[in-house]
Amino acid sequence: MQRIMAALLALLSFNSVAQADDAVRFISCPVYRDTDAGRKSGCWLAEERETGQRFDITQSATKPDWSMAVLVEGRIAQKQDNACGAKVLEPVRVSILPDQACTRAVIPAEGFPGRRFVLPPRNIRPLYAPDPVPPPPYTDKLFPIPFDYGRDFVVYQQSDWMLVNAATYAKASGGGVVITGYAETEPMTLSGQTLSEPASLARSRAEMARLWLVSLGVPADRVRVEWRLNPAPLADPAFDGLTETSRRRVDIRVSGQTP
Amino acid sequence: MKRSFVSALALLAAFTLPAGATWWSPGDGTPFPAQYDDADADGVTRLLLDGGPMETKGHPFFEAKGTYGRACVTCHQPSDGMSLSAETARIRWQETAGKDPLFAAIDGANCPDLAQGERASHSLLLDHGLFRIARPWPPVDHDEQKIEPDFTLEVVRDPTGCNASKVWGLSSPNPQVSVFRRPRPVANFKYILAMGFAIDPKVGKPLPIDPETGKMVSGNLMADRRVLSLEAQMRDAAHSHLGFDALTADDIKRIRDFEDRIFVARQRDRVGGDLDDGGAKGGPETLARSQPGRLGSMGAAVFSEFAAWEKIPADAGITPEQRAWRESVARGARVFREKMFLITDSAGINSPVGFGNPVRNSCVFCHNMSQMGMDVAPGQVDLGTTTMPFADPQPHLPLFRLTCKGPAHPHYGRVIHTHDPGYALTTGRCEDVGKITLQTLRGLTGRAPYFASGSAPDLRAVIDYYDRRYNIGYTEQEKRDLVNLMGAL
Repeated sequence: MQRIMAALLALLSFNSVAQADDAVRFISCPVYRDTDAGRKSGCWLAEERETGQRFDITQSATKPDWSMAVLVEGRIAQKQDNACGAKVLEPVRVSILPDQACTRAVIPAEGFPGRRFVLPPRNIRPLYAPDPVPPPPYTDKLFPIPFDYGRDFVVYQQSDWMLVNAATYAKASGGGVVITGYAETEPMTLSGQTLSEPASLARSRAEMARLWLVSLGVPADRVRVEWRLNPAPLADPAFDGLTETSRRRVDIRVSGQTP
Repeated sequence: MKRSFVSALALLAAFTLPAGATWWSPGDGTPFPAQYDDADADGVTRLLLDGGPMETKGHPFFEAKGTYGRACVTCHQPSDGMSLSAETARIRWQETAGKDPLFAAIDGANCPDLAQGERASHSLLLDHGLFRIARPWPPVDHDEQKIEPDFTLEVVRDPTGCNASKVWGLSSPNPQVSVFRRPRPVANFKYILAMGFAIDPKVGKPLPIDPETGKMVSGNLMADRRVLSLEAQMRDAAHSHLGFDALTADDIKRIRDFEDRIFVARQRDRVGGDLDDGGAKGGPETLARSQPGRLGSMGAAVFSEFAAWEKIPADAGITPEQRAWRESVARGARVFREKMFLITDSAGINSPVGFGNPVRNSCVFCHNMSQMGMDVAPGQVDLGTTTMPFADPQPHLPLFRLTCKGPAHPHYGRVIHTHDPGYALTTGRCEDVGKITLQTLRGLTGRAPYFASGSAPDLRAVIDYYDRRYNIGYTEQEKRDLVNLMGAL
């Protein structure tokens, strides 16, 4: 029931995002603002060329590389702190586009403080102090895993945490696991460029999820892997309301009963 | 000149070592004491054999095995923090006129087909503490199956001649790449093998699985992580460095027992005195008693063992020189943890994981394990020490040109010049070129030079390299404090 409620809430959130003018998607070259409020406190900025607006994309789990273009997908935050000298996007997802070179751009702090690093809520617990195992009863459960555009790399302090949760639940439930990998091969045009993921990414994402689950202790013979293309967007909290990004995902379905 | 002596505790255990001895020859037969103190001009490094003394007579770590007359101890000397310094190699050369098994042609020479017995043929070991490491080309996996690398490899220059050798080179019947690396210390394995987390965020995957046991392992062994367990390392080392392929299960068990129990750390400084005095917790005892694999940011801050020296009471009863040195060490630990700089273009840090390139952090971003300063996640990272343009000039080493066949390297581009492809010689992946497993930071003083290719002749050179590489801007005081800290580890 909790999952259904969360999905409904996310769906509502998705609808508002889809219709609202606070949703932002563009491709650009990143700019690093060299603020210093301690570790990981530098600011990442990117300008939407179509509007000339500069956005603060620092809150993305994936940070940019200063020599490569980025796909930015986010929403203008309700709360603006001006820590970095640009309009804050949050939630925001950044995908690095390694084939599109950028000139490195580092600008000084110019009086902007940046933000002190705060451990995000999606972080894996150490082996010596793990999260408690979820108690029964074990129902069928879906664990959607987001991926950055064009990659099967598991995003640190985001998708890795979700994969560990899926593995923990699957081990506890003892049920079967079906992993479905997806890729978004339908071309999308952004900032005058057309992007589409290779079909092979659907499989490699699924295989990556399988590697995680089996390595984390889910018996291999309980895991089935499949892959498909261009799924419908999924409104799920995993995507923080950025539902368009959900077409690049893996679905892990864990059965609540032993097969 | 070093001198070794047995501590009071070991004396009580009735073990003695030859007076003035620093070299431990295979088959020496001297019992290994529970506590072994090695004194040098600047202080004392202590080895602690947790659980008590051990007979070395007949012990497979200490007895010569194989065709080269060596034992494990040949290259992992107790007086060198269980590694081997270039200075010790030079002394041994002089003492034995180059006849010691240490200088075996297979890897103690620049190339086995050079004229043995001539100093020039062993210059990399004598001048830089480097042993020849021959890696199969193309690489092979743990099942000895060939890996198709996604890069080509050419030799630009090779002063050793080994990579062009008809017997030992890339075009030989058994093609291999010769790179040259420092021996890693055999100690503190509790920490090296520890798994703090089940994942390696740097590669976006779970920790590796040991193919022999099916169990997850830390992935922190050896410069290029070519093996995943100590047992596999023993077999690899026995084969390649001893010329011995018949390690028994009992041999492995006994070596493992020794390696699990041996801890090394600096214990005393000539100026600063005991490193576990005045509330500090330096020395190997802390290592032996602490839980490994803890992230410093979540528990005991890295090298906070010296936190008590940040504010030494006025009536501490120590000399002004002692006070100044101890305060310097404590400041050095702070600088190590807190001095922020931009980490740039370092594979394993700035890619592929999304920390960002650049990312602002300090030394503990990677050296993050409490007490030890290793990486809690497997530490394959490219600092640039072996790869152009970041590497300091190392004209004595071979230089390879690697060309990525698939995607370009995220920071070096498609064509890379390196003295040692590092982890890429294990994985065959272009993106891993130059990555080297982080070293342990304990017992440093006895085992110069530093970095995998020995490019830093002393601890100051280590700090200077980082300062150049990442444009850190250390003050002279900060550099001295960091050197004192590293000397206290």
